[in-house]
Amino acid sequence: MSPSQTTDRRAAAEGRAAFARPARRRRQAPLVAVAAAFLAPAFISLLVLRIAPAAVALWESLYRQSFLRGGTVFVGVENYADLFGNADFNNALLVTLLFSLVVNPLQIGAAFLLAVLYTRKAAGAKIWRSLVVLPIAVPPAVSAVVWSVIYRPDGLGNSFLSLLGLPAQPFLTSPQQSLASIMVLLSWIGVGYWMLFLIAGINDVPTELYEAASIDGASAWRKLWSVTLPLVRRPLAFVLVADTVSNFLIFAPVQILTKGGPSGSSNLLMYDIYTRAYTLGDLSKAQAEVIILVLLTLVIVAVQFRLLRSSDTA
Amino acid sequence: MSAETAQAGITRRRTVAYLGLSVLGACIGLLFLLPLWWAFVNSLRPGGDTFRYLNPLQWETFFTATPTLDNYATLLHSDLGLATLNSIIVSGITVVVGLAICSMAAFALAAIPFRGSGAVFIVVVVSFLIPFDAIAIPLANLFRDWNLQNTYAGLILPGLGNGMAIFLLRTFFLAIPKDLVEAGRLDGLGWWGIFRRIYLPLSVPSLIGAGLTLFLFQWQSYVWPLLNGTDAQHILGPIALSNMQGQFNVDYGVMFAGSMVLTLIPLAIIIAFQRYFIQSVSTTGLK
Repeated sequence: MSPSQTTDRRAAAEGRAAFARPARRRRQAPLVAVAAAFLAPAFISLLVLRIAPAAVALWESLYRQSFLRGGTVFVGVENYADLFGNADFNNALLVTLLFSLVVNPLQIGAAFLLAVLYTRKAAGAKIWRSLVVLPIAVPPAVSAVVWSVIYRPDGLGNSFLSLLGLPAQPFLTSPQQSLASIMVLLSWIGVGYWMLFLIAGINDVPTELYEAASIDGASAWRKLWSVTLPLVRRPLAFVLVADTVSNFLIFAPVQILTKGGPSGSSNLLMYDIYTRAYTLGDLSKAQAEVIILVLLTLVIVAVQFRLLRSSDTA
Repeated sequence: MSAETAQAGITRRRTVAYLGLSVLGACIGLLFLLPLWWAFVNSLRPGGDTFRYLNPLQWETFFTATPTLDNYATLLHSDLGLATLNSIIVSGITVVVGLAICSMAAFALAAIPFRGSGAVFIVVVVSFLIPFDAIAIPLANLFRDWNLQNTYAGLILPGLGNGMAIFLLRTFFLAIPKDLVEAGRLDGLGWWGIFRRIYLPLSVPSLIGAGLTLFLFQWQSYVWPLLNGTDAQHILGPIALSNMQGQFNVDYGVMFAGSMVLTLIPLAIIIAFQRYFIQSVSTTGLK
């Protein structure tokens, strides 16, 4: 502790020596210049590494490789039109929407119920809660790799099914089960994380409200429905949107577990973009697909701001 | 008499509910732990034994009487070990440099009253609303043109400017009283001095929170290192692990040992800074 403090003090003293005097001299130095100096590294990196690639994708999605003339030619929205006429893309879009419609309510419902469970008085609630949160430390690729062994025909998943007296399932190799298997894996990863936000929301609900409801003779379910749920709608709205956006961007489990298959049944948009760009080598259509994905997520976020604003005024 | 039995009934029902909730909570918690625990146990036994105790389930499925660290020893000299070291280097540099540039930007936005600060803030917000993974492919093409593919710089750069970290730090900096800035100026401090001597020392908790954001962004990333750094020298842990899983002959023991190391490093960091992690989670939720 003490050596770091001394270096701190020394650095600070040097800082004062180096900067204080010039600063006094340029007391009138324009604030914009000072701010620009502080902002430049982060601002430039955001412009070049976040906004520029999006702009490039938008630009290139309007062009197409021309073999006749060499180079690229402007084609307007033709790449987009082609995409919407492409069976593989339409399938990916459909799979992604179906996936979102199922996985988001499932995860948020589970996260909410778990948040309610783990805010009740019970033995060891904090310990059990942290076990549910534990998977957020696991990198997505590691989760996918571990679950790839669980889902093997001779893996842990089928051992549990046989313990329950159920027949062995194919999981990842079945077109009917591949997407559901990925949903289970993602819920194992994500539910604990979203639960944290909802627990914070539930802890903010004043206990007097529950006491008042008890005096009015409300049952536990009634209290959950009429007191807890309305009062955590702000964190709920945030979780709904953040979860939806993150689930639009699922890539590692698909790439590691199913490669989008069997027969396109787990081909989520991010993976479709990846194969379009690198396996099919159709970069301009891949860029158009990137733009579609970015717009999709921006629309969801815009809805969030709407939701939060209206719940503020309500 | 009847009031007494009713009272006893309520107490008994409370006890039953308490017990029931405890058992339910424990079962769900253990169920969530199970996959990781199983991977952990398998990392302590030879790869050939991974599938040995699965049919039917038995106590040896989840425990081993003869744990060995052989898999971890093998890991040390394997490509996966090197890849994990790469992950540590890349994440470490990201946290140090990223915190420096993000806190400077947040300071400018929170403490310096300049024209155009609103516009800059909008750019920051827009930059974190654009999901990074979605624009990773166009960015990877740019990085190929700029000869940044398969370099440490190429792996680190996208993690440095983090809109979320700037947002978190700015929120905290805004709460620092402006009187302190005035006092600092009277003491002859320049803007750098105010930032370095007043803002940073007061903001250690939020710096740790932002540091965690930066660290987890890099440690958990998969799409970017897959697109931009896959040669043997620059490959990162998660990519090496998934390559290993895709091979025909997998040593499951080593694979699980690698999974454990890649998990335990962020886990230890999250647990050490738990308080700040939850703080940054709740700040994000409040935005």
